[in-house]
Amino acid sequence: MSLSPSQFRPGLASLANTWRRVGVLAALILLVIAASFLSDRFLTLPNLLNVLRQVAIVGILAIGMTFVILTRGIDLSVGSILGISVVLYAGFLQDHGMAVAIPLGLAAAMLAGLVNGIGVAFAGIPPFIMTLGMLSFARGLAFIYTGGTPIPILNESFYDLGNDYLLGVPIPSLILLALLAVSAVVLSLTAFGRSLYAIGSNEEAARLSGVPVKLYTTLVYVISGAVSGLAGLVYASQLSIGTPIAGQGYELDAIAAVVVGGTSLFGGRGSVAGTFLGTLIIGVLANILNLTGVDPFVQQLFKGALIVVAVYIMSRSDR
Amino acid sequence: MLRRLLFALSVTALLPAVPALAEDKQPISQKTCTQLAAEYKQLPFTNILPLDEGPIAIGGKVKPLTIGFSQTAFNHPWRISMLESLQAEACRHSNIKLVVLDGNVDVAKQSNDVRDLMARGVDAVLLSPVESAALVPAARAVMGSGIPLIVMDRDVPTDKTLFIGQSNVTMAEQVAERMAKDLGGKGDIVVITGLKGSSPAVDRDKGMKNVLAKYPGIKVLAVGDGQWIREPAVPIMEDFLTAHPHIDAVFSHAEESSWGAQLAIARAKRCGDKIRQYTFDGSNAGFKAVKAGTFSADGNYTPFIADIGLRAALYKLMGKDIAGQHAYDMPGQRLLLPDSPTVVPENADQWIGRGWGTFEPTPDPCK
Repeated sequence: MSLSPSQFRPGLASLANTWRRVGVLAALILLVIAASFLSDRFLTLPNLLNVLRQVAIVGILAIGMTFVILTRGIDLSVGSILGISVVLYAGFLQDHGMAVAIPLGLAAAMLAGLVNGIGVAFAGIPPFIMTLGMLSFARGLAFIYTGGTPIPILNESFYDLGNDYLLGVPIPSLILLALLAVSAVVLSLTAFGRSLYAIGSNEEAARLSGVPVKLYTTLVYVISGAVSGLAGLVYASQLSIGTPIAGQGYELDAIAAVVVGGTSLFGGRGSVAGTFLGTLIIGVLANILNLTGVDPFVQQLFKGALIVVAVYIMSRSDR
Repeated sequence: MLRRLLFALSVTALLPAVPALAEDKQPISQKTCTQLAAEYKQLPFTNILPLDEGPIAIGGKVKPLTIGFSQTAFNHPWRISMLESLQAEACRHSNIKLVVLDGNVDVAKQSNDVRDLMARGVDAVLLSPVESAALVPAARAVMGSGIPLIVMDRDVPTDKTLFIGQSNVTMAEQVAERMAKDLGGKGDIVVITGLKGSSPAVDRDKGMKNVLAKYPGIKVLAVGDGQWIREPAVPIMEDFLTAHPHIDAVFSHAEESSWGAQLAIARAKRCGDKIRQYTFDGSNAGFKAVKAGTFSADGNYTPFIADIGLRAALYKLMGKDIAGQHAYDMPGQRLLLPDSPTVVPENADQWIGRGWGTFEPTPDPCK
């Protein structure tokens, strides 16, 4: 059996992918229509830009998560890696400025991703366990580094990244859109990207057809780590505080966005465009519940129900 | 015998973390006894159950005493400040050794931690519970073994030697009264709570509602869950600002969430609305923000109560009476601490330096 990455364009699966994407888009459109009836302030430009900024951090994490889930992996450590990068940005900004702090935080996040990748691809530790370990380890490092006390960020020029606008669009949203574009190109047009689908569908077949499975799997976790560091950059800049609890629980929000966006938890199927739509669905839902003043307890019901219903519809559409 | 062996083993395992000299740094807070001695002078309640410096003698004999402290978690500087007040008191008595355990905001872990402390043979247990009801079996086990159990901050609905705490209800009433006064008894407010369902959030909400019942002119437009932190408060406040063109005040259960709300106000270009911020926590950074006018009032919920807890345990071991303790609506005795005054612009100067935390306030994005 030989199957080169470029040949891996199975017709049926890509049809299912298209259907998934159309379905998710239809769901988002329905939600937007419902929201605009529920609040006359929903369909205003400032509100829509708010939503686009509010989803930026989780949206960025979810794109990295999509890479991992496509290979049939999972990365539970993204929230903690975001946390360690946030405290490093805050800590190093005070004395060394942005030119040192930003590369250092990103490098630390990538290093954590590299450790995950080596653990999964070379040591053969299941992704769930490896990244669960990193979730705890990276969070512990963030607490040790800060001594448990948040580090305020007083460097005001650093705030622009998270709070300013470019061409009328919030910069965090632009970062998300740029990452989305790059990721979509990598996943659909490069041999590396196509190989990830192959690894997720059948790792053994991918290996036999010459895909460097271990290297690519490692790379996927490095990407997820780097992306978490990027999300951390937005977090630190938006909130101007380096708190060691930054990003706690975000791994679940990111996974929810990926799943609602139609990517299969069993690997090999899905897209970053779907993930982006999934992120928007969750973001618009939270926004309209806040705009209409729904009790925070009840909001959790909506979010939980949305995830389950979305995945149910997705699994039906495959049949 | 087995217990001794286990104890010896765990002590050996922890050896690098245990300070050998007084000038070594204390665990978690990373402060030396000299630094803590300076802080001790600033603690608000050292006059409650006062105790002289020096070794503690029980029945005329000075022997090593081990005191266990099971803390909710060390994920918040408030919790670390609480530990510092305990370490500051312990540093004053050379024969006291502390064993400090981190509950990690997990009732099951904390319940096990308390049992571990007993297994280590501590002379008294200090406990600041994650969640009241869930710690009942562990608390019963401590009381059953006959050593003192001092519960701090959040109560446990079962027998204990002493509960020490401030009231979140009356503190919230003070802050809400101030808000009602500032607003002249009428206005539109939004509420950002602490983690929904946690006991301080429930009590602060109750205190606010008690006061608002007297002011029908003050309307609550919306309520959001800020989870005590900054991040969730930003989108919540952004959405509230979108939905409501007129907001007079934000009543938030935590300073961090208030900072998040302030960021949202600035981004929405609504600084000109002069939305007032009422908040809680009692940090030095919060007091400075009150002085600067960012916050209109800060509920002064001090973490510096664990030194009283240690003194109460020592009083009990020494057989001294705990002055001011009284029976209350739960089993056991309570020592009710006086409400610290709410910090407002008029008294902020007196309080800066006496709150918790050494970090600076976030620059006000509206200035």
